[in-house]
Amino acid sequence: MSDAAQVVLAPPPRAGVAGRRLTRVLEIVVALAVVVGLWQVTSITINNSTLLPSPARVFHAWLDLLHADLRQDVLASLAHLGIGYALGIATGLALAAISTRFALLESIVDPLIELLRPISAIAWIPIAILMFGISAGVPVFLIFYASLFPIFVNTVAGVKQVDAKLVHAAQMLGASRRMILTHVVMPAALPYVLAGARLSLGVAWMAMVAAELTGSDAGLGWRLFWYQEFFAMDKVMAVILTIGVLGYCFDTLLRALQARITRWSPDSVVDEAR
Amino acid sequence: MNARRALLPLGFFTVAILAWQAAVLHSGQRALYPYPTGVFEAATRTIEDGSLFAATSQSLLRVLIGFALGAAFGIPLGVLMGFVRPVGRAVSPIVDSLRSIAPIAWIPMALLWLGIRGNAALFIVAYAAFFPFVVNAAQGARLIDRNLVNAARALGAGRALVVRSVVLPNALPAILTGARISMAFAWGSIIAAELAMGIKVTSGGSGAVGLGQLMVSTLYVRRDVNGLVLYMIVIGVISFLIDLAMRRLQRSLTPWRT
Amino acid sequence: MTGKIDAQSLSKTYVSARSGERVEALQNVSFSVAPHEFVSIVGPSGCGKSTLLALVAGFVAPTSGRVLADGAPITGPDPRRGVMFQDYALFPWRTVLGNVEFGPLARGATREAMRATAHRYIELVGLEGFEHRYPHELSGGMRQRCALARLLANEPEVWLMDEPLAAVDLQTRNILQDELLRLWGDGGDPGQRRAVLFVTHGIDEAVYLSDRVIVLGRRPGRIKETVTIDLPRPRKALRNSAEAGRYNEYIWNLIRDEAARAIVEESA
Repeated sequence: MSDAAQVVLAPPPRAGVAGRRLTRVLEIVVALAVVVGLWQVTSITINNSTLLPSPARVFHAWLDLLHADLRQDVLASLAHLGIGYALGIATGLALAAISTRFALLESIVDPLIELLRPISAIAWIPIAILMFGISAGVPVFLIFYASLFPIFVNTVAGVKQVDAKLVHAAQMLGASRRMILTHVVMPAALPYVLAGARLSLGVAWMAMVAAELTGSDAGLGWRLFWYQEFFAMDKVMAVILTIGVLGYCFDTLLRALQARITRWSPDSVVDEAR
Repeated sequence: MNARRALLPLGFFTVAILAWQAAVLHSGQRALYPYPTGVFEAATRTIEDGSLFAATSQSLLRVLIGFALGAAFGIPLGVLMGFVRPVGRAVSPIVDSLRSIAPIAWIPMALLWLGIRGNAALFIVAYAAFFPFVVNAAQGARLIDRNLVNAARALGAGRALVVRSVVLPNALPAILTGARISMAFAWGSIIAAELAMGIKVTSGGSGAVGLGQLMVSTLYVRRDVNGLVLYMIVIGVISFLIDLAMRRLQRSLTPWRT
Repeated sequence: MTGKIDAQSLSKTYVSARSGERVEALQNVSFSVAPHEFVSIVGPSGCGKSTLLALVAGFVAPTSGRVLADGAPITGPDPRRGVMFQDYALFPWRTVLGNVEFGPLARGATREAMRATAHRYIELVGLEGFEHRYPHELSGGMRQRCALARLLANEPEVWLMDEPLAAVDLQTRNILQDELLRLWGDGGDPGQRRAVLFVTHGIDEAVYLSDRVIVLGRRPGRIKETVTIDLPRPRKALRNSAEAGRYNEYIWNLIRDEAARAIVEESA
């Protein structure tokens, strides 16, 4: 235990950047190999391709699906996500703008948000099914609802944390109210907004899968139960992995965007405003 | 002045609720739309026949077990990842990619492996609760001020004491934050899992029915809109209480944090 | 009397929003700063020095009394009164160039004029080569130079400085003091100098830089004495002189007891 602590306290001498990158890639490859190996061994031991399909089977299923259903499913899910997320972000930003700008409206918007926020998107599924029927409306609504809160909460926190000194500095340099908004408040809040957008995407992705599973007639989540009907568990696994890979890619993409846009910040990736 | 500020939203919500009630009653389609007094009736009915309490406690029980499982596996792994850098570097890509899989996506596999009796839902919950523990424990164990350890050493602390009195307290706030997120995830996931199971498995064992399954039968069998709204409110209230309790716990266990 | 700045019987009381507790920060403070004059305000912590500066800058309004600039009451911040902040208050998302350009931009300068002004002042404070760095990539001293260039680029008539050198190390501080005097025109024509109100807790710094030093007492802040520093300019040779030492000692004696009490009260 204490040796381990030592490792943390005294980081090894730095190799070159290229060398470190290589080690990093190697570590990931080794880790993945171990997981796939364990999976393979387990599936051989169990020897039941329904209960636990082997990695090779799942990979083949995935290749087959790539030319068949999977492309449609991914497109359907991305359409749900695109529409719902865009609506959620736009509404969240608009509500945040209103509530930070007008104290009167803040006193209504804020409690409303706080009342609704504990009710997770998932809890809306039955009502959404009643409202939209089994259709794309259910995942779109759920994604919209799920992405609304993180972006709202973070944007409000971002605007409220703006350093009064920076506003004073802009004022004494002769900036107008408008310029203070565009050149001080907005850039200062930007890291929080981006962090909110990332959080929103994360919960939206989860809500999407749940909504498609239970209340949609298309998309990756819907496909899970479809294949399960035929006990095509290799295909189920292929879809599960696709969900994971896509989710990972989205998060990595947004993280990179976040780091790029807020280059000026010493700790350029602000995580949640808790 | 504060009282006046509270008056506006209070008035707004009172008017909104009254308007909601009036609108539904006037439309003459009470069966189609939920309305406040209807929700209240649904509440008294389900409380009296005990079905609300039974389902809620069933769901909560699964959440608690799943949460405990998530903690039991997640904290040791996370602390190990934070302490031993190579382990952390090797394991974190795996953790990250598994974390990106929405827990609920595992439901077909979980149903296959663990059956419809409720253990499938338990698997989903444990899976959801596991990752916040891992990520936060790893971060807490990794981020330690070297001066604190040196100070303890200089004061004569042995290695065991350093770990017990510096490293673990240092990681505790992060672990508790992880616990709070875990709990929230677990509560969201149990409802999702139960909904999916309720839709998939039409004749579930009645003893294992949680809030999610109750919602499905309310939707498809009883067609009771007011009931659905009631369950949503219950879900919201419970997640609010959970968050409140976790924050209290966090404050009382780490009083040195502001 | 109309100076560049006239403060007339200023009082400021803060009311805590949470407890409703009232804290009297300043009580009946009057002074003036003549055009071309360098005036410092010193006092133990908690004497309301920074509040005084914020009142003159127009960031906060006095509870009673008023501040005049060129004989007209101050109603808010104004680009004619430039402020330098204790922790720089540079815009972290703007580069050095972007920060220095902000004033001209706010005042509607053309792109070319803005750029030319910024480059001139960046060079003046010795930051050429660092135009495209972000504030977090600069040392404390360089950030301070950047803040100074930003202030100068607006060519304000009054410089208001709130402990601008408190956050840099001692050597850097000495260097920046000399730079500040040079930019102000310590060795040149007195008619070219700007009016400066300089808040500091360093007595030697105040004596070295100023024409007059206003000494504040604490809780509530009020003027104990105004000391005229009758030393010739340029000051460079006088930094460690016996005359300067005597002024330091005199002012220190004025506030020593209160400074000691401040330490005890702050830790309580």
